[in-house]
Amino acid sequence: MSELLPNFSKKIEVDTIIRDTFDKVVVLRFGRASDLTCLQQDHILSKAARDVSKFATVALVDVDSEDIHVYVKYFDITLIPSTVFFFNAHHMKMDYGTADHTKWIGAFFSKQDFIDVVEAIFRGAMKGKLIVNSPLPPERIPNFQILYKDV
Amino acid sequence: MKKQQTQKSEFEFCKACGINHDQGLRHKYFPNHKKSLSTFLSRFRKKLSDVRFFLNAPIPLNPQLASRNRFWCVFCDQDIHEHSSSFACANAIRHLASALHLKNLKHFFWKYGAAADQLDAFMFSDDDVTKWEKKCVARKDEANEGSRRTVVGPSSDDHIHNQLTSGNSNSFETNVYSHSVKSYPSNPVLPLPNYTNEYQISSSGLSGIANVATSSEARPDAKPIVFQDFLVERRSHSFPHDGRQSSSNGYSCDKQISSMPIESAEKKVYSEAPPPWIDTTEAVQMHSSSNKLGKSKMLNPNRVGAAWVEKRKIEMEKEKRGETIRNGRDASWLPNFGRVWQSGSRRESRKEFEREKQLQKLNVETESEMAIKIQPYVSKRMRMDSVGDNAIIGCLLSPTSLLFQCREW
Repeated sequence: MSELLPNFSKKIEVDTIIRDTFDKVVVLRFGRASDLTCLQQDHILSKAARDVSKFATVALVDVDSEDIHVYVKYFDITLIPSTVFFFNAHHMKMDYGTADHTKWIGAFFSKQDFIDVVEAIFRGAMKGKLIVNSPLPPERIPNFQILYKDV
Repeated sequence: MKKQQTQKSEFEFCKACGINHDQGLRHKYFPNHKKSLSTFLSRFRKKLSDVRFFLNAPIPLNPQLASRNRFWCVFCDQDIHEHSSSFACANAIRHLASALHLKNLKHFFWKYGAAADQLDAFMFSDDDVTKWEKKCVARKDEANEGSRRTVVGPSSDDHIHNQLTSGNSNSFETNVYSHSVKSYPSNPVLPLPNYTNEYQISSSGLSGIANVATSSEARPDAKPIVFQDFLVERRSHSFPHDGRQSSSNGYSCDKQISSMPIESAEKKVYSEAPPPWIDTTEAVQMHSSSNKLGKSKMLNPNRVGAAWVEKRKIEMEKEKRGETIRNGRDASWLPNFGRVWQSGSRRESRKEFEREKQLQKLNVETESEMAIKIQPYVSKRMRMDSVGDNAIIGCLLSPTSLLFQCREW
């Protein structure tokens, strides 16, 4: 599935797509191609990439690469697949109702869900918003809990 | 007032602005001067990029075109001709690497107040020139080998030529192409390996020599129409190559080729120079212009990162023109901060990241032990079959001392 989308394993490639994509949402899927949920996510992304191509660019990032390690730490990526959104080199946040607003964790339930999320982010970004509310109902959002170590 | 008047006494010409002024050295700080200087330099940079192309890929220079290939150095006020050089822009390349040019260049930069870090863009380093010279030598050797391969040694082409000239000279004299023979009496024309044969075969029907040209070169798709506009020439004369006499029927495709000396014609064909219909500089320009976004006028000026886009576009433009060279800062670039944070300022999380980075630098060994473990996220649907309620799926410890747990809701 990962062959259908650009696959990055170098930091400079990730930098370039974030920096040099203007007025479009950059969707980066951090994960590894062999993982089952990643495959599911890749499938949805690859199907939807063409539909959203006017306002979004989708790319896959391999977390196993040594060069990408800095990004993995930078975005606190501990669960894969994690999908991070950018707009004009700004990290876009979304309130999914989960503890983590900074990235989408897990796979989307359907192609339409992904398109809705990207569209909401794009519309928000065009209005100057760095954080937007999720357009999806809570039952269609993968749930996880974030806990501090000593709690 | 008196001081100013004394300063204004001398008039001098500013090359960048194209005006005479009496402002002395102050002139170079004026905004108008700076603007015209940058256009002046970028114009010369464009010229220089053509020369740089020849520096990277030396191309043998046709002596006919040598007079056209000249280069005006704006810093030295000197016209550099290529009359004696065998490669394109050879003298220009040597000039741009010379000490005199560097001296003039530095003087110009001082006088007109250009940024000193751009000096390198207007001169060639000695290393580049030595590389270029090596390439030139290699190219010469190649060309020599190529010419030997084609001219020396009996080839099937020559046989056909010989047959044609020996057996059918009379028919050629009387056919439609004979009129051009006498018009170029002094120009020796080399046998063109493929196209000549095609032509002969296609035209053989007219002169009644079809039985001669039955070799493998005969192509059914070679149509006489293709050669309608060509200047046709037929000549039979001798070449003193290795003591062997060869005669040829040459059909040159263009007036220029027919009047060109033998050497350069061979080099052009056998050197790997780009064919004339592929203009490399134009192609590059077209490619770069297609990358531009044309919709920026309609966009909301308050959208996220609008300022960034403007800044970045200017940067990219400069990079394209070669004004700013990518520095090491790019390697450590990261987008604005995206770490999970629970309370307090968002900046805290960035500080935390930077602290960790410092720590990592200090003790790499301990860090390697704490390497991040990444666990696959297993969705609710997929877990339905295998695990029961409240099953803890992923439980891991990151260096940020955050514990993530995936729990069924």
